[in-house]
Amino acid sequence: MPVSATFQRTRPGHTSMQIIYTDVLVIGGGLAGQRAAIGARRRGNEVIILSLVPAKRSHSAAAQGGMQASLGNCLGGAGDNEDLHFADTVRGSDWGADQEVVRMFAHTAPKAIRELAAWGVPWSRVQRGDHEISEDGKKKTITESDAAHGLITSRNFGGTAKWRACYVSDGTGHAMLYAMSNQAIAAGIPVHERTEAIALIHEGERCCGAIVRNLVSGELIAYMARATCIASGGFGRIYRVSTNAVINEGMGAAIALETGLATLGNMEAVQFHPTGIFPAGILVTEGCRGDGGLLLDGSGHRFMPDYEPEKRELASRDVVSRRMEEHITAGHGAQSRFGEHLWLDIRLLGADHINGQLREVKEICQYFLGIDPAHELIPVRPAQHYSMGGVRTDARGQSPQLKGLFAVGEAACWDMHGFNRLGGNSVAETVVAGMIVGDTIADFCASAEGQLQLSTSLAGDFMRRESDKLKAIAQNGGGESAVELTRQMQETMTSNVGIFRHGEKLERAVSALQDLQQRAAHVGLRNANRGPNPELVAAYRLPRMLKLALCVAQGALLRTESRGAHFRDDYPQRNDLQWMKRTLASWPGDHDQLPTFDYEPLDILGMELPPGWRGYGARDYIDHPDTAIREQQIKHLLAAAGELDRHQRQNLLMPFMHLLPPLFQGRNQRLENSE
Amino acid sequence: MNTIPVSQQRTLNISVLRHNPADPDSEPHMQTFQVEDADAMTLFVALNLIREEQDPSLHFDFVCRAGICGSCGMIINGRPGLACRTLTRDLPDDITLAPLPGFELIADLSVNTGKWMRGMAERLETWVHAQGLEQIDLSAIEAPMEPELAQQLYELERCIECGCCIAACGTAQMREDFVGAVGLNQVTRFRLDPRDERTDAQFYELVGDDTGVFGCMTLLGCQDMCPKDLPLATQIAFLRRRMVAV
Amino acid sequence: MPQKLNRWPARMDLLQSGTGLLLVMFIWGHMFFESSILLGHEAMYWVTRMFEGEHLFGRPYPLLVSAAAAIVLLLIALHALLALRKFPANYRQYQRMNTHMAAMRHMDTTLWYVQVITGFLLFFLASAHLLVVLVQPDNIGPYASSDRIWSGRFWILYASLLLVVHVHAGIGIYRLAMKWGPFSAASSGLWRGRIRLALYCIVAFYLCLGTASLITYMRIGAEHAPYAGERYVPTHASGAH
Repeated sequence: MPVSATFQRTRPGHTSMQIIYTDVLVIGGGLAGQRAAIGARRRGNEVIILSLVPAKRSHSAAAQGGMQASLGNCLGGAGDNEDLHFADTVRGSDWGADQEVVRMFAHTAPKAIRELAAWGVPWSRVQRGDHEISEDGKKKTITESDAAHGLITSRNFGGTAKWRACYVSDGTGHAMLYAMSNQAIAAGIPVHERTEAIALIHEGERCCGAIVRNLVSGELIAYMARATCIASGGFGRIYRVSTNAVINEGMGAAIALETGLATLGNMEAVQFHPTGIFPAGILVTEGCRGDGGLLLDGSGHRFMPDYEPEKRELASRDVVSRRMEEHITAGHGAQSRFGEHLWLDIRLLGADHINGQLREVKEICQYFLGIDPAHELIPVRPAQHYSMGGVRTDARGQSPQLKGLFAVGEAACWDMHGFNRLGGNSVAETVVAGMIVGDTIADFCASAEGQLQLSTSLAGDFMRRESDKLKAIAQNGGGESAVELTRQMQETMTSNVGIFRHGEKLERAVSALQDLQQRAAHVGLRNANRGPNPELVAAYRLPRMLKLALCVAQGALLRTESRGAHFRDDYPQRNDLQWMKRTLASWPGDHDQLPTFDYEPLDILGMELPPGWRGYGARDYIDHPDTAIREQQIKHLLAAAGELDRHQRQNLLMPFMHLLPPLFQGRNQRLENSE
Repeated sequence: MNTIPVSQQRTLNISVLRHNPADPDSEPHMQTFQVEDADAMTLFVALNLIREEQDPSLHFDFVCRAGICGSCGMIINGRPGLACRTLTRDLPDDITLAPLPGFELIADLSVNTGKWMRGMAERLETWVHAQGLEQIDLSAIEAPMEPELAQQLYELERCIECGCCIAACGTAQMREDFVGAVGLNQVTRFRLDPRDERTDAQFYELVGDDTGVFGCMTLLGCQDMCPKDLPLATQIAFLRRRMVAV
Repeated sequence: MPQKLNRWPARMDLLQSGTGLLLVMFIWGHMFFESSILLGHEAMYWVTRMFEGEHLFGRPYPLLVSAAAAIVLLLIALHALLALRKFPANYRQYQRMNTHMAAMRHMDTTLWYVQVITGFLLFFLASAHLLVVLVQPDNIGPYASSDRIWSGRFWILYASLLLVVHVHAGIGIYRLAMKWGPFSAASSGLWRGRIRLALYCIVAFYLCLGTASLITYMRIGAEHAPYAGERYVPTHASGAH
């Protein structure tokens, strides 16, 4: 183990409370957390990463298909740039995203790819010459140029105008995570594995670290830090059918919520991935469809073109998932003893392509289904996949309510995804946001704000509170089982807060969750083992997961419109007039039954891309009067400015460069403008 | 059209080697659980069922449950493998599970592979060594690389550090300081990478002794048990030839 | 370079493999010479004389055979010494290896154990054989050898030596190939199968060859038992004298 850069201090007479001091505490060891940690470390801060599991086992590794960045090297990506990436992302978000953040993201994504390339990620490269590809079910030959040979290539993904998903075969997340972790090891950043932050320490509106439970020994340790960064990923495990790893229980977001101060943004925006293998829910990448794979129904008919003639299988995930469920409801699913599903057909891609570029998919099919996808169909059905919502931050990743608290990656609502994330934008977000937030944290630590008088008595108060809570759980003789209640919560969420939502079902879900919450107070443990105790872990996580589930369900109930992944049968239209706003959930009172909701308006008059039709999915939506005003404004601004290049044009409509750290402001070079 | 496998109902006898080192009263012992087999049941499902319905204290590690994170390596009927993607229908009625040997035991089936792997990474410096990594011009077009080389690098990088090769290696079982196939494979991966500026002499300093490549006795357990089918023996042979030539 | 590299681990690894390879080449060649008896007394006598340098120097120097035996003995000692490094160093290691092997039921791991045992046996069996050759280099010939084998009861030693040495040599060559062989990742599995098959055949061949010649020696020894001690006189030589 590395020698921790921090020091430990045990105060005699203070009931041997262990306190670890550090400049920066990062909660979560995935791509986002590690990149933020590296950024802060590079500028001289002491950083500790907490992780439930060894960092290289984080769920980031599960990202298979690709990372979006507008390099535009390969033929399918030619002409790509930040503008197109920006527009695709905003359309994908159904105009729920923060457009300035999307701009920051699209601008920094190519830099992230290039940094990772220098760090050793073996990005798949452009091969000059002819290639046979599958497009729209047909074979076709494309020719890659000599100039692009050896540069980073990209593949097609849903909801994008260009081939933009840079990839490493179909182990993109794995390769990225390993390169990132190795850089973190090289930087000497200690990862405290198998530890879980169970509460944030805060003094008023200043966050000062976390109370952390060692999952092996069971002991509590106070980590006091000038800056604390939540990077714990999503909360997919509040659903029964999820592609998420079993550790994705949203505990980072939950402990932020439990401060009563920090808010969670857009929790009702939950993404369902079209191709979870059925019934296990394990993901097969969007790259399958990006590379030319098709969706077939029970009778072998390719149905997506019937619903989405423009983008077919490659509409955004929310749209494809809905169409799939719609098609199953219409009686076209394939029957199996586990229920109904549809088929993913990648046979037409050929064994060579599957063995080379879709290896993980092949392995998953082989081991979990016992089939060879080069010859057989893959049973699929949409499964919960991603949490667009999370700890609300400003454009630089800091919580607006709690100073010194940052959030990054899926755990955050930085808000570049709005109500639907595009495939390949999440791994991209982890690294890009990690770069930006890591630098922001370093700025913060260097500023006057970042100075902190670390108070042991404050740590002691929080320590006692958490220790008492755990004791109460351990000594609770109640007859309820945490595992059983968790299962009921997951079932409730999957059946009632899924792809198609409805007022009545949501009300039922909220009341069921509240009921579960009351029962959760009577969870008793069957064993009080020393050391690792999985039962105790399940018991203390349950109420936190229920709080998140309530934020999702109640947020969905209140949002009486359909936007992106949030679809209401009873309010099927996007309603810009009433709902051009971000949901903010908080939990101010410990004994509250429900979260408190607040809404943050999205200002259409400041948007570079005012709301409109996404280019796929439903065409009808209720307009906001500002949309027309903004469109006029833009027209006039552009007319008045005369001849502009795309950067000037962009800067005129919505300047964002001032939000980026100077490190990342440089203009991205591409093949076409380097000549 | 239904290709989801269907199997006969039967009762599985799952014996688990149990021990909790944190509990001074705990002695290593086998405990057998009966589980009804089900269609497409994996050891992930079976172990969770046991924990939920029979013994809440049973300890094991799963993260991705899709065979990509490497958390759930364990000894399944004598041989190391990933529990999450082991289908019970491929196993006999009696199943014996034990923690991976060669790693610090946390409890029952959970071992501290993370600590071992971090130690290995620090010792072998498994990262790209290059001048000026902190001053890369992020705006400039990336350096080109032959597509085939990138593919080769990925083939070696598919290792998920599950620890099966350590548990499968007689040498590693005898010598705790042996870096194993996982470490040697990573050295070949960085050696192959033109972005890493280290010379063979520098690599020799990392693996040129009996805790490194010359410790390997070519028992081939690593290659035969690798869940990712990595060409470990080939890589070690390659590295050995290079290191002898230094 | 910050410091001078310690190249000894590389050298020792190479040396262990190298001595092993030499010894296998020796034993495989030796088998052909030794089994020349199958072609008749004359052939075996000729081979014996050849090794004593008669064809080169005009008269036999049995000392040459002693020298060869000494070199082989040295190689064995060196090989054994180098191999010893890899043996379990203490009871704990031995036990771990045993448990590991029993649980895994993995052929190549088990074969290594076979190597340890055969290697250990060889140290005595081969040394015994070589020491005899070393001190009585002139005691080799169609009758001399046969008498030693039958009347001297050496067949017990040679029968066990035959089995043990070829198993050890076969496994050793297979392992050498896997240890150093420049096979591509894609073809290594194929080569491994091929090499294994080839070695099964080679070992089987040598065991047959060795058994046949041992039986021949034993038969000659039995027939010659009443005259044990008498040397073979080549037919053409007896005519000439």
